[in-house]
Amino acid sequence: MVINEKRHVVGRVLRASTTGFDCGTRSSKIDDKHTFGSFVKVPITDDEAVIAVGLIHAIRIDDDALARELVMASVVDNVALIDQRENRMVPVEIGVINIGYRFNGVMVQSLPPRPPLSLSEVELCTADEVYEFTQRADFFRLILNAKEVPSDELIAAALNYASYAYPEAEQYQFRVNCGRKLAMLLSNDLKRLSHVLALIKP
Amino acid sequence: MSLPLPKRSSTALRDPDAFFGVQLSQKIGVVVGGSLSKGLVIKLEAHQSIEDLAVGRYIVVHGDKRRFFCMITDIVLDNSNPEIQNTPPDISDAFFRDIYQGYAVFGKIHAQPMLVIDEDGTPKPVKTIPAHFTDVMNATVDDVNAVFGIEDKVHFNVGSPLELDQTQINLNLKRLVERSIGIFGKSGTGKSFLTRLMLAGIIARDQACALIFDMHNDYGWAVVDERGANSKGLKQLLGDRVSLATLDPASTIKRGAGSRRDFDVVIGYDEVEPEDLEMLRETMGFTDAMLDAARTLRGKWKGNWIGKLIDATNEDFDEIEATSPVRVGTLQGLQRRIQRFRKWEFLVEQSTGDSVRNVITHIEQGKSVVLEFGRYGNSVEAYILVANYLTRRIHEHYVDKVERALGDAGLEPNQLLIVIEEAHKFLDPRIASQTIFGTIARELRKYKVTLMIVDQRPSGIDEEVMSQIGTRITALLDNERDIAAVLTGINGAAGLREVLARLDTKQQAIIMGHAVPMPVVVKTRTYDEKFYQAIEGDISGQPIRLAKNGGSGDDNPPPRSPKLGSGGGDRRIR
Repeated sequence: MVINEKRHVVGRVLRASTTGFDCGTRSSKIDDKHTFGSFVKVPITDDEAVIAVGLIHAIRIDDDALARELVMASVVDNVALIDQRENRMVPVEIGVINIGYRFNGVMVQSLPPRPPLSLSEVELCTADEVYEFTQRADFFRLILNAKEVPSDELIAAALNYASYAYPEAEQYQFRVNCGRKLAMLLSNDLKRLSHVLALIKP
Repeated sequence: MSLPLPKRSSTALRDPDAFFGVQLSQKIGVVVGGSLSKGLVIKLEAHQSIEDLAVGRYIVVHGDKRRFFCMITDIVLDNSNPEIQNTPPDISDAFFRDIYQGYAVFGKIHAQPMLVIDEDGTPKPVKTIPAHFTDVMNATVDDVNAVFGIEDKVHFNVGSPLELDQTQINLNLKRLVERSIGIFGKSGTGKSFLTRLMLAGIIARDQACALIFDMHNDYGWAVVDERGANSKGLKQLLGDRVSLATLDPASTIKRGAGSRRDFDVVIGYDEVEPEDLEMLRETMGFTDAMLDAARTLRGKWKGNWIGKLIDATNEDFDEIEATSPVRVGTLQGLQRRIQRFRKWEFLVEQSTGDSVRNVITHIEQGKSVVLEFGRYGNSVEAYILVANYLTRRIHEHYVDKVERALGDAGLEPNQLLIVIEEAHKFLDPRIASQTIFGTIARELRKYKVTLMIVDQRPSGIDEEVMSQIGTRITALLDNERDIAAVLTGINGAAGLREVLARLDTKQQAIIMGHAVPMPVVVKTRTYDEKFYQAIEGDISGQPIRLAKNGGSGDDNPPPRSPKLGSGGGDRRIR
């Protein structure tokens, strides 16, 4: 994977609320930026003084009439297939759950004060931002208590993703620290705890 | 696996411990509950190995305004969800072990606050407890020193606290001897060793003279310990400060101390009074009627009543019966018992010297006296008779001297410590109120005579006497009644019960009471060459003090911290 400091745009906001937002992109742009559990950010204000931070929890590719017809065809022409993937007018939708925001340079692990405006650009967080954000674990509760998201798998995917923001020598301890926090938060549900721990085990 | 994560700068490296806050190196946990009466409940930090803790160990709770010195009294395994006991995780996997241990499952300790050091540094009794989530630390050398101070002429190093070998517990000898002392422990736990250690310190530092009724020849001359090694007796260790007396010269000679003995104790029949038999009531089976008969015989036959009784005929008894209410049967019973005295060679028809005077003279010269019983040590009756005989007379002498000293302070006698073994035979609840030992225990320091009682069955000692014992030095006890007896009248006794029952069988004891600021479990000093050198240094006036407690190595130590009180370093909490 090529890692560089350039901007990694995931898409633009389609619809939003304070708990999360959906962003869309062309289906041809789908790549490994759009990964379940990735940390993304989006400005809430024009001057980017407040930036919402979220996790990708769903990636949806909706159908359209042509896609339904092509699915029914016995043989799909390769040109039609490529055209359908690259030029169709239905966006790929990426669901994001808000887990915090940056306000005047300070990371806050809570829901942002306002949702992002539509068509705002959604970007991947940088490794430094992920590292900084995961210095605290208050966002765990937001994920574990979130409705309509696969919270166990999401938190495991997010922590696995975040561990790569740490130097290799620190990754194990980061996972252990997260596991300890989860052990406290899920102490009343040991089956769920052991499932999540199995997912983050290195 | 690789993710499209933009590279982070290397300068952003941070300490992973910061994830949940940095932990202090000495912190072992936080207070999570408890009460003043039942002690504190402390949740252990995840990094704190539960196996490294032990009951009896000191910890310090650092409150906002004061430090609480506590002793660990119990150790508990706990969890955040009891369900985990039914489905234990697989902790053979290091990752799961690192997560579960200390978080989903964790250790707790119960600790009894023993004393408080206030903002001004003064130790005080515990009247409150620290708030929730107050940090709990291991006791450090400085913490222990702040309570027990440094070794000097009055403070004697008896050993080190548990897990703190680099420091020492210094016992206040002055306070130790001014009230009676109890040394308890089941058989084989080193009571004699402890007693010898204490006596060596007391005598070497001139805090009292001791009269030691040495039942099993443990104190005077060379003693063979359980490993077969020879340890020095007090006479060898302390030289002229100790006089060796014996009831059994043959035994003393056989053990190589014949030429070093100072005098033999011989008691004439004419010197024994009916009151001296009172304490033999249980062991020799004297009835009230027999003791009354003894008084009658003493009145009729005067001095040599025992000699005459041993040889008396039925005609003699008929004559007594005719002139007094005493029955022949009673006299015959008394005679059969008294005739056992003939086996004891230290009892003679006519004594040529005055053993009591001998003992008193040595004590007045500032010497301690070890009275070896030799082969008579196996006879409890002989031991009780002699101890009672000598103690009654010496006590009378002391009462007389102390009363005369009221008008002339120069006549005040030396502090005397009488050491008796098998103390429950002397201080049985049925006889304690009538015996001289019960009297001494109750009178305390009024007449400058106190007891050091060495016993393995403290439950057999009269409760009132136990309550008057100033300092209790207790090795392992496992009988519930004995433990309860030793802890009578001790603050926070419930917690100490566990500590007491779990002491090592050797070289460990808990010291409670008058001579220490708070109860302390000590690993006692080894009675070895190093100890001999320290004692010899005390005697020669060039004391060897261990520098680790901040001692200066001489008898003029720097002044104690003014925070810890003044004068003789009386740090005890009242």
